[in-house]
Amino acid sequence: MEATFLLTLLITFLASFIGYELISKIPQTLHTPLMSGSNAISGITLIAAILIYPEVGDSQILQIIVLIAIAFATLNIVGGFSVTGRILEMFKKND
Amino acid sequence: MIEIILLISAVLFIFALKLFGRPSTAHRANSFAILAMGLAVFSAFNFDFSKYDSAFYITIVFSGLLGVLISKRVQMTQMPELVGLFNGFGGGASGAIAYVELSNTSLPISDVFVAIFSMVIGIFTFSGSLIAVLKLRGKLNNFSTKLGNIFSVFLPTILIIPAVLEMDTFLYEFIILVALIAGVIRVAVIGGADMPVVIAFLNSLSGIAAMSAGFIVNSIILIVAGALVGASGIILTLLMCAAMNRTLLDVLKGGFGTTTINNEYEKDPISTSPEDVAIQLSYAESVVIVPGYGMAVAQAQSAVKELTNTLKDKNIEVKFAIHPVAGRMPGHMNVLLAEVDIDYEDMFTLEDINSEFSSTDVVLVLGANDVVNPLARTDKDSPIYGMPILDVDLAKQVIVVKRSMSPGYAGIANPLFINENAKMLFADAKEGLENIIKSFELV
Repeated sequence: MEATFLLTLLITFLASFIGYELISKIPQTLHTPLMSGSNAISGITLIAAILIYPEVGDSQILQIIVLIAIAFATLNIVGGFSVTGRILEMFKKND
Repeated sequence: MIEIILLISAVLFIFALKLFGRPSTAHRANSFAILAMGLAVFSAFNFDFSKYDSAFYITIVFSGLLGVLISKRVQMTQMPELVGLFNGFGGGASGAIAYVELSNTSLPISDVFVAIFSMVIGIFTFSGSLIAVLKLRGKLNNFSTKLGNIFSVFLPTILIIPAVLEMDTFLYEFIILVALIAGVIRVAVIGGADMPVVIAFLNSLSGIAAMSAGFIVNSIILIVAGALVGASGIILTLLMCAAMNRTLLDVLKGGFGTTTINNEYEKDPISTSPEDVAIQLSYAESVVIVPGYGMAVAQAQSAVKELTNTLKDKNIEVKFAIHPVAGRMPGHMNVLLAEVDIDYEDMFTLEDINSEFSSTDVVLVLGANDVVNPLARTDKDSPIYGMPILDVDLAKQVIVVKRSMSPGYAGIANPLFINENAKMLFADAKEGLENIIKSFELV
């Protein structure tokens, strides 16, 4: 149990480090698409909603709250990637 | 099997982030990220799709379609609002999930703390982002800093109340309420031109909220993706702060530019006409255009493109100098210029172009103000002292297209406007440019 938790922390640290390193050299031109794209990725919290949805039990209120979370996260993911695609399309036609 | 899918997903996310870093590969980055996301979401079902009822599937399909619809209909000039809005939804989702988890009484105590953390960050991101959207739409005037300060003191105080009363019902609801208010107040006191920092910061927070949700439901992919977003958001936030020579805390404190300082000009500026500008431009060999928020507000991108074409047809070199915090989100100006097909090879950053101004014939400032204010170099008492600026005052001729002499966000006068080598074209960026283009036909 202890070891797993430490491992998870290590993974968290490594992922943060990779994120930091990868982005620190990004040119200004790409700041908006990067932000928009990473914004879409933050909708990955949808996974948590999918995981807990079957386990909320009989409480209708909780079920509705999870459904709201699902709606929000899906909007974030789909809308976010779609907008990022649109922004990147404009950079592409410059090539 | 699921583990392998998740591993592929995590690797794809990392590659996507890497590909986002170069203009030539950025469009592939999005496809990588979408694929990674698809795999991650798919794996969450663990091949058991029958566990979910129709309400679940209807919600996913409906909100997905809505997301596509919204994103396709929005104009490029509204991009900061849209990014802010989606970001708020992501934060809200994490907050809601954390709340549901907290209702589970068998949650281990360590998870309770993580869940509260996730809930607070998520809800704060939600309300903060919605306020940011309203501010970007110009629907909200700045709250006074004083109000913000009162709330900063007030908030921790009311947080003690449940502890004192040993409140055990509605404790989490109470925390949600406080986080909601905190998000509203914190963002409301921050002015428009600090929005690039705010948007990047909220983006980072939504990643952190997702990451902590990953700790509660034990999902490594959620932790990894959340951490990636959190870290990259922090980078952007710090870059934006550095571009203003201010700390994150200072920006979040809000109220920048609300103190009134001496705004008087010693003399009147030299006013010019579109015809004169056209003549001056046609005799130039090199022109640098400095776009600012005024260009976005006036939706002048197309006119900028037209002028650029006109100048290039006359073999005049045209470059764009873009300050890192110009506009309302990181990279805002670059996107608007890319929208009208301006080559990103022609867009220069502050470091790359500052040494060139002294050999530039004409600089055209379009709705930018504080980022070209020479006081940042000279006046130690100025609120913008030390901020890296575009040294346009060193050019042979500066033409400022601006509606009036009103100060920029920092609330201070800009001596550039009365410089000997500067002329003012009093007009809206779009109208001004269109008149210049028209005058070209007569030159």
